[in-house]
Amino acid sequence: MTEARTESRRARRPGPAAVIWGSIALFAVLFALFAYQMSAPSQPRQQVLVRKLIKRRVVTTVVPAPGESTVSAGPAVSSTQSTTGAAPVTTSAS
Amino acid sequence: MSEHDLSFDAMGSHVRFLIGEPPAGGLPAREAAEGARELIAEFDRELSRFKPDSELSRLNADERERVPASALLRRAVGAGLFAAERSGGLVDPTLLREIEASGYASSRAGMAGAPLDAALAQAPPRRPARPAAEPRWRKIAVDDERGEIVRPPGVLFDTGGTGKGLAADLVAERLRGYSRFVVDCGGDIRIGGEDALVRPYEVYVEHPLTGGRAFVLRLSRGGVATSGLNIRIWRDGNGRYAHHLLDPASGEPVWTGLVGATALGDSAVEAETLSKAALLSGPRGAREVLAEQGGLIVHDSGRVEPVGPLARPPRVRLPRREPNGASA
Repeated sequence: MTEARTESRRARRPGPAAVIWGSIALFAVLFALFAYQMSAPSQPRQQVLVRKLIKRRVVTTVVPAPGESTVSAGPAVSSTQSTTGAAPVTTSAS
Repeated sequence: MSEHDLSFDAMGSHVRFLIGEPPAGGLPAREAAEGARELIAEFDRELSRFKPDSELSRLNADERERVPASALLRRAVGAGLFAAERSGGLVDPTLLREIEASGYASSRAGMAGAPLDAALAQAPPRRPARPAAEPRWRKIAVDDERGEIVRPPGVLFDTGGTGKGLAADLVAERLRGYSRFVVDCGGDIRIGGEDALVRPYEVYVEHPLTGGRAFVLRLSRGGVATSGLNIRIWRDGNGRYAHHLLDPASGEPVWTGLVGATALGDSAVEAETLSKAALLSGPRGAREVLAEQGGLIVHDSGRVEPVGPLARPPRVRLPRREPNGASA
């Protein structure tokens, strides 16, 4: 009785070939599925807005030959109309 | 496009306005400049510590704890408190007695300073300034609702640390809407206007030892200011050299290893605060003070050192080409 039950269990177990071919088949199916997903056009992604903040600050230029005086004595009051950029401004200790 | 250029002397310094095209319905640049000049005259009249009848002098002489004050004086006191807070107490607006004791009790406008190189040779060992152990400026408050300045009687206020920067900012507020403008109050400068964003102004930085150009800035907005030892410098009663930048901890002129500092800021008040704080901090501390906004320091040797954004070379970024030919 016991031997017959064991025998029937052994008979239901798949053979090694079936396990190997089953594994290969499962791998092939999954591989094909992933390959198909990779090759298919992707869904349009949610758009992300990137706001670029540009804080304008300063561009500098080093004057190569310091030594030239930029301070000049002027009249007590001077009022003129000038073209833009004609007269530079000087920052100094006061 | 042209600009109106107005120059005159006020606040013991040279003042200059460059004003471009007015906004729609705005005053012509010439009239705006004259109006701004009147504002500077009022500023000079009411906020000078050298004038006994100025509102500032009356505040300092007042023995009440709460003193009614004009909007201009409240703004000036507020700027001084901002500077003290921003500099961690180094730019202290309550050192009036100390500055007078060191020999700066009357205006030095038009007076030649003592030779800086000789002063440096005799100066004590260099060290950075420190904030006062018990800062008096923390006892001052501005009550705008009641229009009063609140402080213990005897705490004296001096606009010297922020006065010219504030004057430049006040004029700049009036010029909002003009195409471009420069307000230069004794080297404390405020720049603005949409057109200046496109065509920045060139600002020369004067070298405190040579008088020549130490640097050239191209500025499109904001403030720039310079503090230095080369102008307000004299010999005290003991023959020692003294200057107007005091160590709040000792109440005496401090020699930090720097003879000049230039700072950039969002406003002229901020730039003036940072330039003074940098000079008072010495080379090491100045690099920290100027790291964010940028500036220059001039060492005792005369070496000019750009700091922060000014120390970094300008980056050239080429437009990136997308596969479809569009520029990013």
